[in-house]
Amino acid sequence: MIAVDHLQKSFGRQVALEDVSFAVPKGEVFGFVGPNGAGKTTTIRILATLSAPDGGDATVGGVPVSENPAEVRALIGYMPDFFGVYDRLTSGEYLEFYAACHGVPRRRRARVAQELLELVDLTDRRDVAVDTLSRGMKQRLGLARALVHDPQVLLLDEPASGLDPRARVEMKELIRELRRMGKTILISSHILPELEQLCTWVGFIDGGKMAAAGPMEEVRDRVTTGRRLRIELAQPSEEETERVAALLRDHPGVLAVRPLPDHLEVAVNDEVEDEQLLSALVEKKVRVRSFSQIAGDLSEAFMRLTEDHRGS
Amino acid sequence: MSVTRRFLQGLDNPIVVKEGVSRMRTWRAPVVATLYLSLIGAVGYAWLNVDIGVTQQSIGAVSASAIGSHAFAAMAFFQLTLISLFAPALAAGAVSGERERQTLDVLLVSRVSAFGIIWGKLVASMAYTLLLILTALPLFAAVFLFGGIDPSQFFVSQLITVATAIGLGAISIFWSTLFKRSLAATVMSYASAFGLMVGTAVLSTMLMATQFTAGRGTLIATTGAQTPGLPALWYLNPFFSLYEVLFPQGYAWPTLRTFLQLLIFGPGAGGYTPIGGPVVEPWHATVVAEGLVAVACTIASVWLLRGRRTRPRRRVEPVAQEPA
Ligand SMILES: Nc1ncnc2c1ncn2[C@@H]1O[C@H](COP(=O)(O)OP(=O)(O)OP(=O)(O)O)[C@@H](O)[C@H]1O
Ligand SMILES: [Mg+2]
Repeated sequence: MIAVDHLQKSFGRQVALEDVSFAVPKGEVFGFVGPNGAGKTTTIRILATLSAPDGGDATVGGVPVSENPAEVRALIGYMPDFFGVYDRLTSGEYLEFYAACHGVPRRRRARVAQELLELVDLTDRRDVAVDTLSRGMKQRLGLARALVHDPQVLLLDEPASGLDPRARVEMKELIRELRRMGKTILISSHILPELEQLCTWVGFIDGGKMAAAGPMEEVRDRVTTGRRLRIELAQPSEEETERVAALLRDHPGVLAVRPLPDHLEVAVNDEVEDEQLLSALVEKKVRVRSFSQIAGDLSEAFMRLTEDHRGS
Repeated sequence: MSVTRRFLQGLDNPIVVKEGVSRMRTWRAPVVATLYLSLIGAVGYAWLNVDIGVTQQSIGAVSASAIGSHAFAAMAFFQLTLISLFAPALAAGAVSGERERQTLDVLLVSRVSAFGIIWGKLVASMAYTLLLILTALPLFAAVFLFGGIDPSQFFVSQLITVATAIGLGAISIFWSTLFKRSLAATVMSYASAFGLMVGTAVLSTMLMATQFTAGRGTLIATTGAQTPGLPALWYLNPFFSLYEVLFPQGYAWPTLRTFLQLLIFGPGAGGYTPIGGPVVEPWHATVVAEGLVAVACTIASVWLLRGRRTRPRRRVEPVAQEPA
């Protein structure tokens, strides 16, 4: 339903997306996970026809985004990471306004608004000015707004950000409900546990590149059977750490590298032989103090590797 | 589809409806309208009183028609000034405000076309200005009853005001689409309004002065009467047009072709040989110019706004376009 193929995008000299590819089949909930600045919003904006990619292809429901944006817009419901509401409009009017913008016939608008308010549990706020709603309510209203034209695909950019735990649970429940309605949902977050029980598919993005993507089970298997190594350097200077990190990233089978002040954390797949990796490093005159394996589960593994490591 | 139906459909634009609802909900809308009417009323009333006093002292008799036309003119000038202050304020936040409020993207992923957004914004901001002009009509009608102004002058004076409002509104929306910040858009909108209302007058006066000193203050001779060799810029000044409509000086205005010559080459030495054709009065030029400005600004704004969405790269098959 959503397919992204070798997407590239730069803003001036700032490369936002280097190589992003993933696919989401119909009816799945895709968790798009990555740290701040990884390129999630950039990818979603391209899918939402708000920004054109520099290279690569994106299609929604088989429709290429850059060839036929109008048709894509009819297919998607988009909820931005930040969005405002108009003052001096009630929740009901707010939804009716967007229903009108999406071409919902006049006589059906009020009913659509009412149904959506029921769905997001804001029926009692129907006649309340939108700018007086709480953050969580606005977020739910924003989700309702994305649904006014009953789109098949939902692009939700961090729908749970800024919500308290209770509101997060409600938001998740809402997304489950939407999945039951047969929608294909892409939902981004910088925290995996947030999405782990919710998503059926998952993709990890970091620094504009996909680290892994696929069905949840498959990725979980891959990552948990894959291992994490801890490499401690004899002279952990900053340049040396960076150099080693670069070497490791080039090594086949290395999934991700995270330089830390006193050691490096490396995620590798099963093909990697420890001795080979070690001797490859030694060959490049890297002095290794210790080389060991760390155990962990999916969320721990990936979150630690994709956590903000770009202090550089 | 008939033209009127198309026009009515154009008004059935979600943005027009939304802006209308939310604007009328503020305390500002009625307050501004009341203030507007009382100010225009006050100017008319004051002028009537002063005029009556002055004429009584000097001639001892009161000519109702002279007083009426003076008061009418005072009100019309004042209204034009107010409109040129309101129109930018109402339109300058149109698109930049959506951007600042972070509601623009959501609008852009909907089915509303870029034209629909710009058109909606223009109609919504103009509707309020036109409403103000409309509500002031009874005041003008009251002064009109003193005489001294004929119905066509009444009509044309209102037309100039409406055209100015639309032109300035469209310019402001253009700035609003161009700039990210409403503040910048507002500053540029007022600068444009100032340029149109004052700048054109100052510039043309300067032009005329240089022409006179260069011995080229020759007049355009048309049908016997003498028309000052006015720079074409003067014709674009709404105040000038309004003045010429309310107090016609009996000039013979250039024909369309002479006017275009004047516009392109400026007043030449030795005047112009009269060329036949329709006559261009200043208000014709003003109204047409404002209309052209409005169209150009709307097209430019739509073009700018389209750039914020992905545009179809290659044509695959005709996409069902939403009705405008
Ligand atoms: N309009 C822009 N102009 C310049 N650089 C941009 C722009 N938008 C994004 N970037 C850059 O692109 C990179 C990716 O940003 P993006 O917003 O896609 O990240 P993200 O994964 O959504 O992060 P977050 O979790 O903080 O929302 C960042 O380095 C950012 O600085
Ligand atoms: Mg983001």
